[in-house]
Amino acid sequence: MATATIDQNQPSPLSEAARTGRRFLRSIRRELRYAMATTSGRIGLPLVTFYILLALVGPWLAPYSPTEFHLADRFAGPSTTYFLGTDEFGRDIFSRVLSGATSIIGVSVAGTVLGLLLGTLVGLTMGYVGGKVDEIVMRLMDGLMSFPSLLLALLVLTTLGSSHINIVITIGVVFMPSVARVLRSATLSIKTMEFVQSARIRGEPALYIVFREILPNTMPVLTVEASVRLSYAILLASSLGFLGLGVQPPSSDWGLMISEGRSHIADSPLIVLSPAFAVSTLVIGVNLLAEGLREARELPKED
Amino acid sequence: MTTINLNGAAPSVDESHVEETGHAPLLEVRDLSVTFHTPRGSVRAVRHASFTVHRGEVLGLVGESGCGKSTVAFATMRYLPTTAEVGGEIRFEGRDLNSMSSAELQSIRGDRIAMVYQDPGSALNPSIRVGLQIEEVLHAHRSMSRQEAQERVAELFESVGLPNPARIGQRYPHELSGGQQQRVVIAMALACEPDLLLMDEPTTGLDVTTEATILDLISELKDRVNAGIIFVSHNLGVIARVADRVAVMYAGQVIEEAPVRDLFSNPSHPYTAGLLSCVPAPVTGDGAVPLLRNIPGSVYPASAPNVDACLFADRCPIVQDICREQAPPEIVGASEGHPARCFFPERVNASIWGDPEPRRRRRREVGGTPLLSVDALHQYYGTDRKKFIFFGPPARRPVRANVDVDFEIGAGRTLGIVGESGSGKSTAARSIAGLERRTSGEVLLEGEPLARDVADRTDDQRAKIRMVFQNPAASLNPQLPIGHALVRSIRQARGLGRREARRNARALLDAVGLGGEYMERRPRELSGGQQQRVALAAAFAADPDLVIADEAVSALDVSVQAQVLNLITARQQREGTAFMFITHDLGVVRYISDDILVMYGGYVVETGPAETVLAPPWSPYTEALLSAAPIPDPDAEPSRIRLEGAVPTLRQPFKGCPFADRCPRNLGDLCDNTPPPMRVDPANEHHKILCHIPLEELAIEQRKAIETREKLVRR
Repeated sequence: MATATIDQNQPSPLSEAARTGRRFLRSIRRELRYAMATTSGRIGLPLVTFYILLALVGPWLAPYSPTEFHLADRFAGPSTTYFLGTDEFGRDIFSRVLSGATSIIGVSVAGTVLGLLLGTLVGLTMGYVGGKVDEIVMRLMDGLMSFPSLLLALLVLTTLGSSHINIVITIGVVFMPSVARVLRSATLSIKTMEFVQSARIRGEPALYIVFREILPNTMPVLTVEASVRLSYAILLASSLGFLGLGVQPPSSDWGLMISEGRSHIADSPLIVLSPAFAVSTLVIGVNLLAEGLREARELPKED
Repeated sequence: MTTINLNGAAPSVDESHVEETGHAPLLEVRDLSVTFHTPRGSVRAVRHASFTVHRGEVLGLVGESGCGKSTVAFATMRYLPTTAEVGGEIRFEGRDLNSMSSAELQSIRGDRIAMVYQDPGSALNPSIRVGLQIEEVLHAHRSMSRQEAQERVAELFESVGLPNPARIGQRYPHELSGGQQQRVVIAMALACEPDLLLMDEPTTGLDVTTEATILDLISELKDRVNAGIIFVSHNLGVIARVADRVAVMYAGQVIEEAPVRDLFSNPSHPYTAGLLSCVPAPVTGDGAVPLLRNIPGSVYPASAPNVDACLFADRCPIVQDICREQAPPEIVGASEGHPARCFFPERVNASIWGDPEPRRRRRREVGGTPLLSVDALHQYYGTDRKKFIFFGPPARRPVRANVDVDFEIGAGRTLGIVGESGSGKSTAARSIAGLERRTSGEVLLEGEPLARDVADRTDDQRAKIRMVFQNPAASLNPQLPIGHALVRSIRQARGLGRREARRNARALLDAVGLGGEYMERRPRELSGGQQQRVALAAAFAADPDLVIADEAVSALDVSVQAQVLNLITARQQREGTAFMFITHDLGVVRYISDDILVMYGGYVVETGPAETVLAPPWSPYTEALLSAAPIPDPDAEPSRIRLEGAVPTLRQPFKGCPFADRCPRNLGDLCDNTPPPMRVDPANEHHKILCHIPLEELAIEQRKAIETREKLVRR
């Protein structure tokens, strides 16, 4: 074996990882640039960017603390003091919407990332390995997928207890099977391609082929899947909030706000409408971005 | 009288001429330009192309990929996406198609103008019986009754030579062979007796033997139907066979137009001359192989703007200053009606592309152990066991892709493997490379047995066998730089450090004519030919003793194919690398091979040194294959052996000879029911033929056939 000589020249794993990370970012940037060439992408990407920025700086922009009671101003209408009015405890709705962005976007992005990681790992390896192992693991995935996602989430959260981490884990587990399926089918078609065969003839180890040769080529599929999953994650996270299984009161969460404001909808519709508007525009933005990414794949590649 | 104007702007003389003669030509395309506007810039597929088509003639539209020939055909049908901007005029019987409403176009399409597409498999609706699909056309344009339409369909099927014309309409497309499907598509195009027939690479997806029968049909049709035909092809041999006049396209322009004989004998544009000299010629008698000429550089890109210069200037061997300063005018070349877009048509001849020099002598047989020997290789796909014990799809017989394949490759020699698709040639290659696990049989490399799976072979064994694939775009990882595969290969095989490996990789790129600056480029920045050269460099990186090239030049244009073939032979001469060269192109096999192996239905039907395989006695299959190959010479008399039917599906084991049901020399019961013996040619012990007919008899019969043909030609 020639490995001994190769090893001395092997770069440190750290620089290798940094390089992989840079390449990863670069390919994401490329996908997004392509998406900006489509109408859906041009609307979706700024929307999503806006909300992500909001999640990062929202709490600092809020004029009031989201949990501060203004008992004298309960159910106030929109005014220059309270842009969107106040709720039953006199909390400023505008501030609550602003600071709510962090938790929902944080949770759904983290959940999506976890789901993609797990799903990619399973999908790639099963797609490449094939045979009986693949058959068994994918049937398990099918089993997992047959649970309605909300029901599965409820089950996990009621047993584990509600916390940010647990919501993230739940979303990750719920998403794993469908991501795995998509990645597996992408892998199945890529692994028959000639450059993979060339790598086999060169004698590359299976792990190398899977992660270095195949994985980068699943990027287009992966970005589309990620954006679709993200919109589901936002919906799932806010549904959980609505059901009282997400972030606990008094912290502000859009789903929770809708749930709390329900009983006052006739008197003060803005309590419900503001977070509902936020959730829906965010989901629409993500969906448009997903659509843009998908459309961009159909465009001829630049030379 | 043809009026052709290559120069874009139409001089008034031409127009008045048309009016004077009283009738407009069938199709007159003037100054046609098609630009696709995409979010990533404009693609100028056609730049000011002009030509005319008359009734009863076949205009061959020839050019390499990306020259805009198919776009011209689609523009004539007005089948273009909304992103296309069409300029110029397309006059069909004097009426401008560009200004017609979509309703008017709809009534003309399929009725007066019909199209035959490249892929019959996707031109037919897979879920509708083929007869019904043609009835629909008749219904739409002719409002025939059911009964009449059915009779007409049967008539059409008969006229395109489909067997059992009354009944075959009941079949679905998948129940027909590729050749039969294409006949159905042609029948559909002929349904309304169109005045103009567009054929876009109608034989490109077919095997040579099937291609020959379809070309026969087309050349017979042109006499029978009074229509103008535009025949688009990249294959000069096919064009020579069917076209009356030829328009050569380059970078979206028609650069030369001439009657077919004139074009082939006296090309007036350097590009045409170059194309003709790129086609591999048969080896001369003394065993010296002429060097292939090639056209350096690559095609003027479609993304580049229109410039006031000759677009071929950068690749032209006789380029002058004027060529770069202004666009060449239309010049009448060698004779009347032979315009070429060149300032110096009289200087054009084959020798401007360099003198053919003898490149090498063929290697004579060398003794000792062969480099690779394959003994009784069997490759079956699938088993007759069920996937699951109690349920699942019913078991099917395995596909017998390779049955009892034996051959050897001597060190430094080239073995050419020919056969139609489905003959098992790629399977054999993949088994040897270890990409497929063979069912049984021995593969020995320098006398050492090779494991079935490439992963189980030693590093040393892996380094000795490398493979190059057909599709250059898929051979390189699109997400990684060009240098990646090379560097990996060098490090894996020779254990060099990163820096050392990179230096070696640069040298390899240099050797295939690409500079070291290509190391960091992505595959998509390269043309197909450049990609294939990188794939070759990657294969050479390990210093292999054997390179398996699976249809490695089939996807390339002739000019680029020549570059790649020259690289392969140069490597062989310098390093003594052996090649296993798989192709369906007989011209290439003839040019490159020391030994030839002919496969059919998973069996080896003939094998031996090239000169013995290419001369009688042939196996009847080799004979048919050779006679079907299109030759780029309009005067070559097409030989008369035509195979009907299709390559058999390989699930059913053959009772007798695998070729029996299509063999023109079938002896009857013996061939159908008894497996034939492998006969050894008494003249050369390495030459073997799988046939029931004794070889002496075969040789006599085949020589007789050649003589009668020659007599016919002389007459």
